[in-house]
Amino acid sequence: MTTRTLVVAGHGMVGHRLVEEMLTHDRHGRWRVVVLGEEPRAAYDRVALSSLLDGATPDDLALAGPDVLGDGRLRLSPGTRVTGVDRRARTVTCDDGTETGYDALVLATGSRPFVPPVPGHDLPGCFVYRTVEDVAAIRAAAVPGREAVVVGGGLLGLEAANGLRLLGMRPRVVEMAPWLMAQQIDEGGGRVLAGAVERLGVGVHCSSALHAVGAGPDGRADRVELADGTVLDAALVVFAAGVRPRDELAAPLGLERGERGGFLVDGWCRTADEYIWAIGECAAVEGRCHGLVVPGLRMAETVARQLVGEGGQPFAGADGSAKLKLLGVEVAGFGDAHARAPGAIEYVREDRRAGTYAKVVLAADGRTLLGGVLAGDTRAYPVLRGLTGRELTASPDELLAGTTGEGPPRAR
Amino acid sequence: MTGVVIVGGGPAAHRLAARLVQYGHPGEVTVVGAEPRPAYHRALLGSVLDGTLDADRLSLPALPAEVRQLTGVRVSAVDRARRTVRTGDGRELPYDVLVLATGARPRVPPVPGLETGPGRLAEGVRAVRTAADCRPLSEGPVVVLGGGIRGVETAWALSRTGQEVALVHPAGHLMERHLDAAGAAVPAAWLAGRGVTLHLGRRAAEYTPGKVVLDDGQVLAAGTVLLCTGTVAETASARASGLEVRGGVVVDALLRTGDPRVHAIGDCAEHAGAVGSTVLQAWEQAEALARILTGRERPYAPGRRVLRPRTPGKDMVVLPPAGPDRPGDTDGTVSLLDRAGGRHARLVLRGGRIHAGAVIGSPSAVAAVSRLYLRDEPVPADLLALLTGADGEYAGDGTLPDEAVVCHCNNVTGKALKDAWHSGAHDEAALARATRATTGCGSCTSVVRRLCTTLAGAGDDTPAEGATP
Repeated sequence: MTTRTLVVAGHGMVGHRLVEEMLTHDRHGRWRVVVLGEEPRAAYDRVALSSLLDGATPDDLALAGPDVLGDGRLRLSPGTRVTGVDRRARTVTCDDGTETGYDALVLATGSRPFVPPVPGHDLPGCFVYRTVEDVAAIRAAAVPGREAVVVGGGLLGLEAANGLRLLGMRPRVVEMAPWLMAQQIDEGGGRVLAGAVERLGVGVHCSSALHAVGAGPDGRADRVELADGTVLDAALVVFAAGVRPRDELAAPLGLERGERGGFLVDGWCRTADEYIWAIGECAAVEGRCHGLVVPGLRMAETVARQLVGEGGQPFAGADGSAKLKLLGVEVAGFGDAHARAPGAIEYVREDRRAGTYAKVVLAADGRTLLGGVLAGDTRAYPVLRGLTGRELTASPDELLAGTTGEGPPRAR
Repeated sequence: MTGVVIVGGGPAAHRLAARLVQYGHPGEVTVVGAEPRPAYHRALLGSVLDGTLDADRLSLPALPAEVRQLTGVRVSAVDRARRTVRTGDGRELPYDVLVLATGARPRVPPVPGLETGPGRLAEGVRAVRTAADCRPLSEGPVVVLGGGIRGVETAWALSRTGQEVALVHPAGHLMERHLDAAGAAVPAAWLAGRGVTLHLGRRAAEYTPGKVVLDDGQVLAAGTVLLCTGTVAETASARASGLEVRGGVVVDALLRTGDPRVHAIGDCAEHAGAVGSTVLQAWEQAEALARILTGRERPYAPGRRVLRPRTPGKDMVVLPPAGPDRPGDTDGTVSLLDRAGGRHARLVLRGGRIHAGAVIGSPSAVAAVSRLYLRDEPVPADLLALLTGADGEYAGDGTLPDEAVVCHCNNVTGKALKDAWHSGAHDEAALARATRATTGCGSCTSVVRRLCTTLAGAGDDTPAEGATP
């Protein structure tokens, strides 16, 4: 049997999951895997990026152990960007001039940070927050005791703000939506979150649009101007206002893009070219991009199963479940957190004294869990998330107490 | 012999007079009422207005013959030094004990055109306060001013018969004293469903017969304007005789004013900082005062009362705060919102009991919650079942079923973990190696740990069904 070549363009968390799945499930050694990664290092845990500002080293974040790196079926080329593809010849060309033939090509190019095109967005002192190198640059530029502004109050923006705090700066978060983490949590959860974040010394400006970044006499960013005229001092500005898919290969390859960008793929993550797939944040699965890692991991698994001939299941979609845990602040949203399903019932418990807020979203039958929001106390998160889409196994009050998740089983 | 003169012809005066006789009060009891007819059930006037109740059905039971009743007689002055009451028809009535039960009058909002003079409503404008207000409506649309309980009741009653109704309310949502915005959306939907046009966050700016102009310039056609804008305690005679008046005539725990011979009850009285507004409270005070005056002296302590807005066909209960609101002294709130099902509930809990709240749209929940609140009983552990009226049965013991995903980062189900356990992975680390569970974001660690404890405790090492040995 001839050995076939899988080329993976991109070595982020999702590209790496594909590699792992291939090495684990390709029991007959039919595939050779070539990974071409643009970043100068092998895949790392990007979700844990902020831990670099809390004592971790890049090695701590590395995803590939010696067993994977030493596997003879894998060739890994970090610092190598794919610049072109000849679909007829089935070869990829890289920025170092090399050419590699493929039997299957999986695009896992990820995304780039979105930087709002306001005046001053590219001044020295403005940063994004995506790679180990970005964090190193922020660390080098940090001025303890000075103000900093993070543009974007989502998961990443709050991580960045906490990172700046750990660097001794006084961060403020500017968010367009009326509350923090508006994609994952509702207004009540946002209220608890903002209170906790402010108690950490991080300023919060919601419903605020960025107008411009202003420069000081040295030509570096020194302030941020908001649309309402507010001016915030900022020795450093970090953009964490969402991401855009890295789909620039679509045009040269003649591949279709989704309405909001991303390589358009079907439910099996396959492009219109039967030899090319796309997974992770660069993929528009049936037109929809997913900006979190877990859906990307599922896509990687879907594609690996196809390649090793196990069939498997198409990508089933994924909810926007996310949990944030920063020093003393815990919030989570899962499933239909905003109760968008027709007929959804919302059940909310709030204790302002204790600083906790919990919402459970149920289907119209009052029994099926659709999603929820937890703030201040997220002990119930793993069990509730696992029950999402299923019938409740106990009253929400009991589940929210969090006692069903840990410790010895309840006496019954 | 102690002569009691009761000023006022409403339900409070009626109940007090009846009870004084019943309790064997030895002296004369005189009721002086300004309305031309004996006391009637004021709270049901809305039903007269919408035609479901005949005006003569409002009457309260006739008072015993021992009670001297003066109807259509106004009290013009109280002379506390001489202990007499002077009436508009020139009589002078001596008293040993005077009870003010003068009630309240509709509050007229300061909108140009509503009044033609002090206390004189313009043509087409009326309150829903007296039986006279329930004469047939003029032709054309009705504009209800005020979206509190009375406004909602009135709009609901009128819209039943297809009457064109618009409701104007300055707050952003209905019944804002009792409901939050999410809760108020439910009665708003009821009204809208019957064709009532809601103008929330709007004030009337001007009235001329036939139309109401709103503060945003909108013009509403108005055959009739109904004032549901609250009431003002009738305190003129108390004030004129030098008694302390704040929101109402101030009384102590014996329902006494500063003058030990003068009492006040019902909507005109202010007890413990609150002016009454419901007939139930007025009756409660009348009962209490009857006991006090007949020597069964016992301080008045307001009981818990629920407010049941009259919206026939739709259930709603408001539970006013039981006792003063002390911030930070509650266990928090629990709420239910079912937009599609038209249900809402919000309870403020204190010490495991209901301190305040509201329940809308679910007859069983309205009944169950009201009962717990009125009896001040502890709430059950399953509050969702309480608020939805569900059976409280759940399929399981609170843990995840086997087929549920435990580790979402690595797509590991409970069954996969159990299989790994039965294949020899007997601790968290071994399970992580075997399944990758817990190696992603780590959120599922607590569940995996619990599974370990459960399986170890079960001492059960037999393979799960379908497990690979």
